[in-house]
Amino acid sequence: MIELSRIKVLRKVRLILGLDNMRFEDGQSYALVGENGSGKTTLLRLLAGIIQPSEGKIKGLEGQKLAYLPQKPYMFRMPVWQNVALAAKESPDNAELVQQAINAVGMQGYEKQEAEKLSGGEVQRVAIARLLLVKADLVLLDEPIAPIDVRGREQIDAVIADYVHKNGATLIFATHSLEQAMKLADQVVKLEDGLQQTV
Amino acid sequence: MQEVLYQLFGPNPELREIIGLTLVMSVLSTVISAAIGIPLGTWLGLTAFKGKKTWLKVNSTLMGLPPVLVGLLVFLLLSHSGPLGKLSLLFSLPAMVIAQVILISPIITGMTANLIALNANAINETCLGLGIRPGKKLVLVLQDFKRDYLLNILAGFGRSIAEVGAVQMVGGNIQYKTRVMTTAIMMETNMGQFEKALALGLVLLVIAFVVNFAVQSIRPRISND
Repeated sequence: MIELSRIKVLRKVRLILGLDNMRFEDGQSYALVGENGSGKTTLLRLLAGIIQPSEGKIKGLEGQKLAYLPQKPYMFRMPVWQNVALAAKESPDNAELVQQAINAVGMQGYEKQEAEKLSGGEVQRVAIARLLLVKADLVLLDEPIAPIDVRGREQIDAVIADYVHKNGATLIFATHSLEQAMKLADQVVKLEDGLQQTV
Repeated sequence: MQEVLYQLFGPNPELREIIGLTLVMSVLSTVISAAIGIPLGTWLGLTAFKGKKTWLKVNSTLMGLPPVLVGLLVFLLLSHSGPLGKLSLLFSLPAMVIAQVILISPIITGMTANLIALNANAINETCLGLGIRPGKKLVLVLQDFKRDYLLNILAGFGRSIAEVGAVQMVGGNIQYKTRVMTTAIMMETNMGQFEKALALGLVLLVIAFVVNFAVQSIRPRISND
């Protein structure tokens, strides 16, 4: 279980995240919803260890294997296949696992395509394919379906659900889609101006 | 024009030797500066640490160092009474290379740090999210930005080949030893030998054009952040 207590994240003097007490149970899925600037990304970055709280404590992150999808994932200047393979451990099954991940997000046929020539939605699919190769206990996704077209969202949601289920991982994701929140999450956390509204 | 071609391809090898020495000095200076500036700039761009802003500000200041000041400092360092006087490097090619490395390294470091910083958040967060270790991340970044690094290296080479103040002071413009194109142009102009100065200027212009053409043809990476 991850427990945040009396968390404050300040940028200069401005409070960008303030959480009195928040818990994330193991193996559960949580959707973070709220308007732009409400603190969703800050909370995910805090849980990923990218930023530190100005005040308060986070317990339960020690020893958790992390998979994190930032809002703007970076694509290395190499073909799609190599970009996905970056996340794979060296093993004889490597190639098969990479191909499975590419197929799962509907990017088969793009393996040799240079990643820098992909569209925004295609980049996001490749970024998700890469993540599927990480065996994680804690999965943090920052707006995973935002750049993906409406038809593709259902497929990606199913891939994420399957991945989290197989790993028995805790999923925390930021979204603007209530439909995705209802579909993937056991609980919805609403943030407003950096403060928790309802759980 | 005929005189220019005669100076370049005629029986007197001096001009060709000047061009050769200039290229050796510039290539050496640029290679050493790149070996310092590329890894240092990449590390500075990727890593967040206390005092980074100060470091970058100092580097920015060093990017605009007056060549004559560098020349003076290296001169004092290498002169017989200076701390490195025993090496007897003053008025030699190594002295000119040292001065140029001091001038060019901050340029390559600063340009590299700025370039990497544009993409640093996306790279760091992506690598963290995929469990990619820092060593592998550095290798990936070095591979990923090789075209952009070349751009920075060529900019350093351009600065090196056109520099005159520092190499004049520590090289001394000695015939067949430390005379390079820029110092030779200055000398020939002062002596009224305009044909020779023009021939050298023309070669310098061609090299500058080739370097510039190469720089323009390299497509820089667009920021991911």
